[in-house]
Amino acid sequence: MAKDSPIRALLTILVTAVVCSFFVSASVVLLRPIQLNNKLLERSGNVLALTGLLPAGREVSDDQLLDLFKSLDARVVDIDAVELDSEFDPYTFDARKASTNPEFSVPVPAAEDIASLGRRSSYETIYLVWKDDRLERVVLPIRGAGMWSMLYGYIALESDFNTIAGMMIYEQNETPGLGDQITKPHWQAKWVGKKLFDDTDEVLFRVAEGPVHAGASGAEYQVDALTGATITANAVTAMIKYWFGPNGYGPLLERMREQGVRKAADGAAQEG
Amino acid sequence: MSAQHPLTTPLIKENPLALRVLGLCPALAITNSMTSALVMSAALTVVLVISNSTVSLVRNLLPSSVRLIVQITVIASAVTVIDQFLKAFLPDTAARLSVYVALIITNCIVLGRAEGCAMKENVGTSILDALGNGAGYSMILVAVAFQRELVGKGSLMGYQVFDPVSQGGWFPENALVTLAPSAFFIIGVLVWVIRTWKRDQCEKPDFEPIPLPRREKR
Repeated sequence: MAKDSPIRALLTILVTAVVCSFFVSASVVLLRPIQLNNKLLERSGNVLALTGLLPAGREVSDDQLLDLFKSLDARVVDIDAVELDSEFDPYTFDARKASTNPEFSVPVPAAEDIASLGRRSSYETIYLVWKDDRLERVVLPIRGAGMWSMLYGYIALESDFNTIAGMMIYEQNETPGLGDQITKPHWQAKWVGKKLFDDTDEVLFRVAEGPVHAGASGAEYQVDALTGATITANAVTAMIKYWFGPNGYGPLLERMREQGVRKAADGAAQEG
Repeated sequence: MSAQHPLTTPLIKENPLALRVLGLCPALAITNSMTSALVMSAALTVVLVISNSTVSLVRNLLPSSVRLIVQITVIASAVTVIDQFLKAFLPDTAARLSVYVALIITNCIVLGRAEGCAMKENVGTSILDALGNGAGYSMILVAVAFQRELVGKGSLMGYQVFDPVSQGGWFPENALVTLAPSAFFIIGVLVWVIRTWKRDQCEKPDFEPIPLPRREKR
Protein backbone atom coordinates (compact mmCIF):
# COMPACT_ATOMS: atom_id res chain seq x y z
CA MET A 1 0.00 0.00 0.00
CA ALA A 2 1.37 3.38 -0.93
CA LYS A 3 2.39 5.44 2.05
CA ASP A 4 0.17 8.35 1.14
CA SER A 5 -2.95 6.46 0.07
CA PRO A 6 -6.22 7.64 1.67
CA ILE A 7 -6.91 4.14 3.06
CA ARG A 8 -3.62 4.12 4.87
CA ALA A 9 -4.23 7.61 6.24
CA LEU A 10 -7.62 6.47 7.54
CA LEU A 11 -6.13 3.35 9.12
CA THR A 12 -3.41 5.39 10.80
CA ILE A 13 -5.98 7.72 12.32
CA LEU A 14 -8.10 4.79 13.49
CA VAL A 15 -5.19 3.02 15.19
CA THR A 16 -4.02 6.28 16.80
CA ALA A 17 -7.51 7.01 18.09
CA VAL A 18 -7.96 3.54 19.59
CA VAL A 19 -4.53 3.40 21.22
CA CYS A 20 -4.73 6.94 22.61
CA SER A 21 -8.27 6.55 23.94
CA PHE A 22 -7.18 3.38 25.69
CA PHE A 23 -4.49 5.26 27.64
CA VAL A 24 -6.73 8.22 28.40
CA SER A 25 -9.66 6.07 29.59
CA ALA A 26 -7.40 3.85 31.65
CA SER A 27 -5.84 6.80 33.46
CA VAL A 28 -9.23 8.41 34.12
CA VAL A 29 -10.86 5.22 35.40
CA LEU A 30 -7.92 4.05 37.50
CA LEU A 31 -7.23 7.42 39.10
CA ARG A 32 -10.87 8.41 39.74
CA PRO A 33 -11.08 6.83 43.25
CA ILE A 34 -7.92 8.65 44.36
CA GLN A 35 -9.23 11.94 42.97
CA LEU A 36 -12.59 11.53 44.71
CA ASN A 37 -10.80 10.74 47.96
CA ASN A 38 -8.74 13.92 47.50
CA LYS A 39 -11.93 15.94 47.09
CA LEU A 40 -13.45 14.43 50.24
CA LEU A 41 -10.20 15.06 52.14
CA GLU A 42 -10.17 18.66 50.97
CA ARG A 43 -13.76 19.18 52.05
CA SER A 44 -13.06 17.48 55.39
CA GLY A 45 -10.11 19.77 56.03
CA ASN A 46 -12.11 22.88 55.12
CA VAL A 47 -15.12 22.02 57.26
CA LEU A 48 -13.16 20.66 60.21
CA ALA A 49 -10.98 23.78 60.34
CA LEU A 50 -14.11 25.69 61.35
CA THR A 51 -15.51 23.17 63.82
CA GLY A 52 -12.87 23.69 66.48
CA LEU A 53 -12.43 19.91 66.61
CA LEU A 54 -8.95 19.88 65.09
CA PRO A 55 -6.13 19.87 67.63
CA ALA A 56 -4.27 23.16 67.23
CA GLY A 57 -0.73 23.11 65.86
CA ARG A 58 -0.64 19.37 65.26
CA GLU A 59 -0.68 17.54 61.95
CA VAL A 60 -3.64 15.21 61.56
CA SER A 61 -3.33 12.13 59.37
CA ASP A 62 -5.68 11.75 56.41
CA ASP A 63 -7.47 8.82 58.05
CA GLN A 64 -8.04 10.75 61.27
CA LEU A 65 -9.35 13.67 59.24
CA LEU A 66 -11.86 11.46 57.40
CA ASP A 67 -12.96 9.73 60.62
CA LEU A 68 -13.48 13.07 62.30
CA PHE A 69 -15.38 14.39 59.29
CA LYS A 70 -17.68 11.37 59.17
CA SER A 71 -18.42 11.76 62.88
CA LEU A 72 -19.94 15.20 62.18
CA ASP A 73 -23.72 15.50 62.12
CA ALA A 74 -24.06 16.42 58.44
CA ARG A 75 -27.48 17.35 57.04
CA VAL A 76 -28.62 18.21 53.57
CA VAL A 77 -31.05 21.00 54.42
CA ASP A 78 -33.93 22.14 52.25
CA ILE A 79 -33.59 25.92 52.19
CA ASP A 80 -36.83 26.67 50.38
CA ALA A 81 -38.98 24.35 52.48
CA VAL A 82 -37.12 25.39 55.66
CA GLU A 83 -36.46 21.75 56.53
CA LEU A 84 -33.40 20.49 58.37
CA ASP A 85 -33.43 17.14 56.64
CA SER A 86 -33.92 15.83 53.15
CA GLU A 87 -33.59 12.52 51.41
CA PHE A 88 -30.06 13.19 50.17
CA ASP A 89 -26.89 11.62 51.50
CA PRO A 90 -24.69 14.44 52.82
CA TYR A 91 -21.51 12.68 51.71
CA THR A 92 -22.48 12.29 48.08
CA PHE A 93 -24.80 15.27 47.56
CA ASP A 94 -23.12 17.94 45.44
CA ALA A 95 -24.83 21.31 45.88
CA ARG A 96 -22.70 22.84 43.17
CA LYS A 97 -23.97 20.35 40.62
CA ALA A 98 -27.50 20.67 41.99
CA SER A 99 -27.45 24.44 41.47
CA THR A 100 -27.45 23.92 37.70
CA ASN A 101 -30.11 21.21 37.79
CA PRO A 102 -33.63 22.69 37.45
CA GLU A 103 -35.04 19.83 39.51
CA PHE A 104 -33.05 20.70 42.62
CA SER A 105 -32.56 24.42 42.25
CA VAL A 106 -34.50 27.66 41.99
CA PRO A 107 -33.76 30.75 39.90
CA VAL A 108 -32.82 33.75 42.02
CA PRO A 109 -34.87 36.79 40.92
CA ALA A 110 -32.60 39.63 39.77
CA ALA A 111 -33.85 41.96 42.49
CA GLU A 112 -32.82 39.51 45.21
CA ASP A 113 -29.67 38.29 43.51
CA ILE A 114 -27.16 40.47 45.32
CA ALA A 115 -24.54 37.69 45.27
CA SER A 116 -24.99 37.17 41.48
CA LEU A 117 -25.83 33.50 41.80
CA GLY A 118 -28.30 33.20 38.92
CA ARG A 119 -29.59 29.91 40.27
CA ARG A 120 -29.34 28.54 43.76
CA SER A 121 -29.56 24.94 44.89
CA SER A 122 -32.56 24.34 47.12
CA TYR A 123 -30.41 22.03 49.16
CA GLU A 124 -27.11 22.61 50.94
CA THR A 125 -25.02 20.37 53.17
CA ILE A 126 -24.56 21.87 56.63
CA TYR A 127 -22.58 20.40 59.51
CA LEU A 128 -23.69 20.41 63.14
CA VAL A 129 -21.01 20.12 65.81
CA TRP A 130 -22.17 18.57 69.08
CA LYS A 131 -20.33 18.43 72.35
CA ASP A 132 -22.04 15.71 74.35
CA ASP A 133 -25.66 16.75 73.85
CA ARG A 134 -25.12 20.45 73.42
CA LEU A 135 -24.95 22.06 70.00
CA GLU A 136 -21.61 23.85 69.75
CA ARG A 137 -21.44 25.15 66.22
CA VAL A 138 -23.00 24.92 62.80
CA VAL A 139 -20.93 25.13 59.61
CA LEU A 140 -22.73 26.48 56.52
CA PRO A 141 -21.48 26.70 52.94
CA ILE A 142 -21.62 30.09 51.20
CA ARG A 143 -20.94 31.15 47.65
CA GLY A 144 -21.19 34.26 45.54
CA ALA A 145 -19.64 36.08 42.61
CA GLY A 146 -16.36 37.81 43.38
CA MET A 147 -14.54 40.19 41.09
CA TRP A 148 -13.32 37.58 38.61
CA SER A 149 -15.06 34.34 39.48
CA MET A 150 -17.23 32.60 42.07
CA LEU A 151 -16.12 32.56 45.70
CA TYR A 152 -16.78 29.37 47.62
CA GLY A 153 -16.44 29.15 51.36
CA TYR A 154 -17.82 28.10 54.71
CA ILE A 155 -18.90 30.05 57.71
CA ALA A 156 -19.25 28.64 61.22
CA LEU A 157 -21.74 30.03 63.73
CA GLU A 158 -21.92 29.54 67.47
CA SER A 159 -25.00 27.90 68.94
CA ASP A 160 -26.79 31.26 69.11
CA PHE A 161 -26.81 31.12 65.28
CA ASN A 162 -25.58 34.69 65.26
CA THR A 163 -21.97 34.89 66.49
CA ILE A 164 -19.37 33.98 63.86
CA ALA A 165 -17.02 31.23 65.00
CA GLY A 166 -14.95 31.19 61.85
CA MET A 167 -14.89 31.80 58.11
CA MET A 168 -12.89 30.38 55.26
CA ILE A 169 -12.82 30.70 51.47
CA TYR A 170 -11.63 27.55 49.75
CA GLU A 171 -12.00 28.52 46.13
CA GLN A 172 -11.54 31.92 44.52
CA ASN A 173 -9.70 33.58 41.70
CA GLU A 174 -9.39 37.14 42.96
CA THR A 175 -6.51 39.43 42.06
CA PRO A 176 -3.28 38.13 43.64
CA GLY A 177 -2.05 40.40 46.39
CA LEU A 178 -5.31 42.38 46.52
CA GLY A 179 -8.59 40.46 46.42
CA ASP A 180 -7.00 37.19 47.38
CA GLN A 181 -6.42 38.63 50.85
CA ILE A 182 -9.81 37.07 51.65
CA THR A 183 -8.00 33.73 51.92
CA LYS A 184 -5.44 35.02 54.42
CA PRO A 185 -5.80 33.56 57.92
CA HIS A 186 -5.02 36.86 59.63
CA TRP A 187 -7.99 38.51 57.92
CA GLN A 188 -10.32 35.56 58.45
CA ALA A 189 -9.36 35.56 62.14
CA LYS A 190 -10.91 39.03 62.42
CA TRP A 191 -14.33 37.53 61.70
CA VAL A 192 -14.34 35.46 64.88
CA GLY A 193 -16.73 36.84 67.48
CA LYS A 194 -18.50 39.23 65.09
CA LYS A 195 -22.29 39.14 64.88
CA LEU A 196 -24.43 38.62 61.77
CA PHE A 197 -27.86 39.81 62.91
CA ASP A 198 -29.17 42.68 64.98
CA ASP A 199 -32.14 42.31 67.37
CA THR A 200 -34.62 42.47 64.49
CA ASP A 201 -32.92 39.58 62.64
CA GLU A 202 -31.64 41.84 59.92
CA VAL A 203 -28.18 41.03 58.54
CA LEU A 204 -25.96 43.93 59.56
CA PHE A 205 -22.64 42.19 59.02
CA ARG A 206 -20.37 43.73 56.40
CA VAL A 207 -16.80 44.34 55.40
CA ALA A 208 -16.07 47.90 56.46
CA GLU A 209 -14.58 50.69 54.33
CA GLY A 210 -11.56 51.07 56.56
CA PRO A 211 -10.15 49.61 59.73
CA VAL A 212 -12.76 48.81 62.38
CA HIS A 213 -12.10 50.40 65.76
CA ALA A 214 -13.27 48.34 68.68
CA GLY A 215 -15.96 50.20 70.57
CA ALA A 216 -17.13 52.25 67.58
CA SER A 217 -20.83 51.93 66.86
CA GLY A 218 -21.57 48.83 64.82
CA ALA A 219 -18.04 47.47 65.28
CA GLU A 220 -19.41 44.09 66.32
CA TYR A 221 -20.98 43.69 62.86
CA GLN A 222 -17.90 44.73 60.83
CA VAL A 223 -14.50 43.43 59.83
CA ASP A 224 -11.58 45.49 58.50
CA ALA A 225 -11.57 46.58 54.87
CA LEU A 226 -9.34 44.92 52.32
CA THR A 227 -6.83 47.44 50.97
CA GLY A 228 -7.19 47.81 47.22
CA ALA A 229 -9.94 45.22 46.95
CA THR A 230 -13.20 47.13 47.28
CA ILE A 231 -15.05 45.00 44.72
CA THR A 232 -14.03 41.75 46.39
CA ALA A 233 -14.93 43.16 49.81
CA ASN A 234 -18.35 44.27 48.56
CA ALA A 235 -18.84 40.83 47.02
CA VAL A 236 -18.12 39.19 50.38
CA THR A 237 -20.60 41.53 52.08
CA ALA A 238 -23.25 40.77 49.43
CA MET A 239 -22.62 37.04 49.78
CA ILE A 240 -23.18 37.16 53.57
CA LYS A 241 -26.25 39.40 53.18
CA TYR A 242 -27.78 37.00 50.66
CA TRP A 243 -27.05 33.72 52.40
CA PHE A 244 -28.13 34.83 55.85
CA GLY A 245 -31.05 36.93 54.60
CA PRO A 246 -34.65 35.80 54.02
CA ASN A 247 -33.77 34.00 50.76
CA GLY A 248 -30.87 32.04 52.21
CA TYR A 249 -30.39 30.40 55.58
CA GLY A 250 -32.31 33.14 57.44
CA PRO A 251 -35.61 31.27 57.93
CA LEU A 252 -33.79 28.01 58.68
CA LEU A 253 -31.64 29.62 61.39
CA GLU A 254 -34.74 31.25 62.87
CA ARG A 255 -36.45 27.89 63.02
CA MET A 256 -33.42 26.30 64.65
CA ARG A 257 -33.25 29.15 67.16
CA GLU A 258 -36.92 28.80 68.10
CA GLN A 259 -37.45 25.06 67.96
CA GLY A 260 -33.95 23.84 68.69
CA VAL A 261 -32.21 21.01 66.85
CA ARG A 262 -32.11 17.36 67.73
CA LYS A 263 -28.93 15.37 67.40
CA ALA A 264 -29.15 13.07 64.39
CA ALA A 265 -27.89 9.97 66.18
CA ASP A 266 -30.60 10.32 68.87
CA GLY A 267 -33.31 10.66 66.28
CA ALA A 268 -32.14 7.53 64.54
CA ALA A 269 -32.05 5.67 67.84
CA GLN A 270 -35.62 6.68 68.62
CA GLU A 271 -36.86 5.57 65.27
CA GLY A 272 -35.04 2.26 65.58
CA MET B 1 30.49 17.22 21.75
CA SER B 2 29.14 18.46 18.46
CA ALA B 3 28.02 22.02 17.90
CA GLN B 4 24.35 20.91 17.84
CA HIS B 5 24.01 18.52 20.75
CA PRO B 6 20.28 17.76 21.23
CA LEU B 7 20.51 17.94 25.03
CA THR B 8 22.54 21.12 25.55
CA THR B 9 21.73 23.26 22.52
CA PRO B 10 18.17 24.11 23.71
CA LEU B 11 19.46 25.39 27.06
CA ILE B 12 20.85 28.76 25.99
CA LYS B 13 21.73 28.60 22.33
CA GLU B 14 18.25 27.69 21.13
CA ASN B 15 16.15 28.18 24.22
CA PRO B 16 12.50 27.58 23.32
CA LEU B 17 11.31 30.52 25.40
CA ALA B 18 14.15 33.02 25.18
CA LEU B 19 15.06 32.57 21.53
CA ARG B 20 11.91 31.23 19.91
CA VAL B 21 9.53 32.92 22.37
CA LEU B 22 7.26 29.87 22.45
CA GLY B 23 5.07 28.79 25.35
CA LEU B 24 4.75 32.33 26.67
CA CYS B 25 1.16 31.91 27.89
CA PRO B 26 1.82 29.52 30.81
CA ALA B 27 5.09 31.33 31.48
CA LEU B 28 3.06 34.44 32.31
CA ALA B 29 0.25 32.65 34.09
CA ILE B 30 1.85 30.22 36.50
CA THR B 31 5.20 31.74 37.40
CA ASN B 32 3.91 33.55 40.50
CA SER B 33 4.98 30.61 42.65
CA MET B 34 8.01 28.32 42.51
CA THR B 35 5.96 25.20 43.24
CA SER B 36 3.62 25.81 40.29
CA ALA B 37 6.58 26.56 38.02
CA LEU B 38 8.39 23.37 39.01
CA VAL B 39 5.33 21.16 38.58
CA MET B 40 4.52 22.84 35.27
CA SER B 41 8.12 22.34 34.09
CA ALA B 42 8.04 18.68 35.06
CA ALA B 43 4.66 18.15 33.37
CA LEU B 44 5.84 19.81 30.18
CA THR B 45 9.09 17.84 30.12
CA VAL B 46 7.26 14.53 30.60
CA VAL B 47 4.78 15.41 27.84
CA LEU B 48 7.66 16.39 25.55
CA VAL B 49 9.45 13.10 26.18
CA ILE B 50 6.30 11.04 25.59
CA SER B 51 5.32 12.91 22.43
CA ASN B 52 8.82 13.07 20.97
CA SER B 53 9.56 9.39 21.59
CA THR B 54 6.16 8.20 20.32
CA VAL B 55 6.24 10.36 17.20
CA SER B 56 9.84 9.34 16.50
CA LEU B 57 8.92 5.65 16.86
CA VAL B 58 6.17 5.83 14.27
CA ARG B 59 7.69 8.56 12.07
CA ASN B 60 8.36 6.20 9.17
CA LEU B 61 4.83 4.78 9.23
CA LEU B 62 3.01 8.11 9.22
CA PRO B 63 1.45 9.29 5.95
CA SER B 64 2.40 12.95 5.74
CA SER B 65 -1.21 13.99 5.07
CA VAL B 66 -2.30 13.03 8.59
CA ARG B 67 0.92 13.42 10.54
CA LEU B 68 -0.16 16.61 12.34
CA ILE B 69 -3.42 15.00 13.46
CA VAL B 70 -1.54 12.01 14.84
CA GLN B 71 0.99 14.25 16.58
CA ILE B 72 -1.73 16.36 18.22
CA THR B 73 -3.66 13.25 19.29
CA VAL B 74 -0.56 11.78 20.91
CA ILE B 75 0.21 15.10 22.65
CA ALA B 76 -3.40 15.59 23.81
CA SER B 77 -3.52 12.06 25.23
CA ALA B 78 -0.20 12.48 27.05
CA VAL B 79 -1.38 15.77 28.53
CA THR B 80 -4.71 14.31 29.67
CA VAL B 81 -2.96 11.40 31.36
CA ILE B 82 -0.50 13.75 33.13
CA ASP B 83 -3.38 16.01 34.17
CA GLN B 84 -5.19 13.03 35.72
CA PHE B 85 -2.03 11.99 37.58
CA LEU B 86 -1.51 15.50 38.94
CA LYS B 87 -5.14 15.69 40.09
CA ALA B 88 -4.73 12.36 41.86
CA PHE B 89 -1.33 12.84 43.48
CA LEU B 90 -0.74 16.60 43.70
CA PRO B 91 -4.30 17.92 44.06
CA ASP B 92 -3.33 21.29 45.58
CA THR B 93 -0.85 22.21 42.89
CA ALA B 94 -3.15 20.83 40.19
CA ALA B 95 -5.91 23.12 41.46
CA ARG B 96 -3.55 26.09 41.34
CA LEU B 97 -2.37 25.28 37.83
CA SER B 98 -6.05 24.82 36.84
CA VAL B 99 -6.39 24.85 33.06
CA TYR B 100 -2.73 25.44 32.32
CA VAL B 101 -1.84 21.76 32.53
CA ALA B 102 -4.52 20.93 29.96
CA LEU B 103 -3.26 23.84 27.87
CA ILE B 104 0.14 22.14 27.43
CA ILE B 105 -1.65 20.59 24.43
CA THR B 106 -1.52 23.94 22.70
CA ASN B 107 2.02 24.73 23.85
CA CYS B 108 3.87 25.33 20.60
CA ILE B 109 7.06 23.84 22.01
CA VAL B 110 5.56 20.34 22.11
CA LEU B 111 4.19 20.33 18.58
CA GLY B 112 7.23 22.25 17.39
CA ARG B 113 9.63 19.58 18.66
CA ALA B 114 7.42 16.73 17.37
CA GLU B 115 7.37 18.25 13.90
CA GLY B 116 10.85 19.78 13.96
CA CYS B 117 12.85 17.00 15.56
CA ALA B 118 10.96 13.77 16.22
CA MET B 119 9.75 13.42 12.60
CA LYS B 120 13.38 13.42 11.43
CA GLU B 121 15.53 11.93 14.17
CA ASN B 122 15.76 8.52 15.82
CA VAL B 123 14.19 7.79 19.20
CA GLY B 124 17.36 8.39 21.25
CA THR B 125 18.05 11.79 19.76
CA SER B 126 14.38 12.74 20.04
CA ILE B 127 14.28 11.91 23.74
CA LEU B 128 17.49 13.89 24.37
CA ASP B 129 15.99 16.77 22.40
CA ALA B 130 12.81 16.58 24.51
CA LEU B 131 14.82 16.59 27.74
CA GLY B 132 16.95 19.48 26.50
CA ASN B 133 13.97 21.59 25.47
CA GLY B 134 12.14 20.72 28.68
CA ALA B 135 15.16 21.80 30.69
CA GLY B 136 15.60 25.00 28.66
CA TYR B 137 11.94 25.93 29.22
CA SER B 138 12.07 24.94 32.90
CA MET B 139 15.16 27.08 33.48
CA ILE B 140 13.37 30.22 32.37
CA LEU B 141 10.13 29.35 34.22
CA VAL B 142 11.97 28.71 37.48
CA ALA B 143 14.14 31.82 37.08
CA VAL B 144 11.03 33.97 36.57
CA ALA B 145 9.08 32.26 39.35
CA PHE B 146 12.00 32.66 41.78
CA GLN B 147 11.98 36.43 41.32
CA ARG B 148 8.20 36.77 41.27
CA GLU B 149 7.58 34.73 44.40
CA LEU B 150 10.45 36.28 46.34
CA VAL B 151 9.67 39.89 45.47
CA GLY B 152 5.90 39.49 45.30
CA LYS B 153 5.25 37.43 48.41
CA GLY B 154 8.59 37.24 50.23
CA SER B 155 8.44 33.46 50.09
CA LEU B 156 10.03 30.59 48.16
CA MET B 157 8.24 27.30 47.52
CA GLY B 158 5.59 28.54 49.96
CA TYR B 159 8.05 29.04 52.82
CA GLN B 160 8.13 32.60 54.12
CA VAL B 161 11.69 33.88 53.67
CA PHE B 162 11.03 37.52 54.52
CA ASP B 163 8.42 38.71 57.03
CA PRO B 164 5.81 40.61 55.00
CA VAL B 165 4.44 43.96 56.16
CA SER B 166 0.86 42.65 56.08
CA GLN B 167 1.75 40.26 58.87
CA GLY B 168 3.72 42.74 60.92
CA GLY B 169 7.14 42.16 59.32
CA TRP B 170 9.40 44.49 57.39
CA PHE B 171 9.16 43.19 53.81
CA PRO B 172 6.90 45.23 51.51
CA GLU B 173 5.21 42.76 49.17
CA ASN B 174 5.06 43.95 45.59
CA ALA B 175 1.59 43.23 44.22
CA LEU B 176 2.65 44.16 40.68
CA VAL B 177 5.17 41.31 40.62
CA THR B 178 2.46 38.77 41.46
CA LEU B 179 0.43 39.88 38.43
CA ALA B 180 1.00 38.37 34.99
CA PRO B 181 2.47 41.46 33.24
CA SER B 182 5.53 41.38 35.50
CA ALA B 183 6.49 38.03 33.95
CA PHE B 184 6.59 39.87 30.63
CA PHE B 185 9.08 42.38 32.06
CA ILE B 186 11.26 39.68 33.63
CA ILE B 187 11.28 37.50 30.50
CA GLY B 188 12.05 40.61 28.45
CA VAL B 189 15.06 41.38 30.63
CA LEU B 190 16.21 37.75 30.42
CA VAL B 191 15.96 37.77 26.62
CA TRP B 192 17.91 41.03 26.52
CA VAL B 193 20.64 39.62 28.80
CA ILE B 194 20.97 36.44 26.73
CA ARG B 195 21.06 38.36 23.45
CA THR B 196 23.64 40.80 24.77
CA TRP B 197 25.82 37.80 25.60
CA LYS B 198 25.00 35.83 22.43
CA ARG B 199 24.87 38.52 19.76
CA ASP B 200 23.98 36.02 17.02
CA GLN B 201 20.51 35.58 18.58
CA CYS B 202 19.55 39.13 17.69
CA GLU B 203 17.12 39.20 14.80
CA LYS B 204 17.98 41.21 11.73
CA PRO B 205 15.69 44.18 11.23
CA ASP B 206 12.80 43.39 8.90
CA PHE B 207 13.70 46.31 6.68
CA GLU B 208 16.33 48.99 6.43
CA PRO B 209 15.01 52.40 7.38
CA ILE B 210 14.60 54.52 4.27
CA PRO B 211 16.95 57.48 4.48
CA LEU B 212 15.20 60.83 4.37
CA PRO B 213 15.62 62.56 1.02
CA ARG B 214 18.24 65.22 1.32
CA ARG B 215 17.01 68.66 0.49
CA GLU B 216 19.08 70.18 -2.22
CA LYS B 217 20.65 73.48 -1.50
CA ARG B 218 19.77 76.25 -3.81
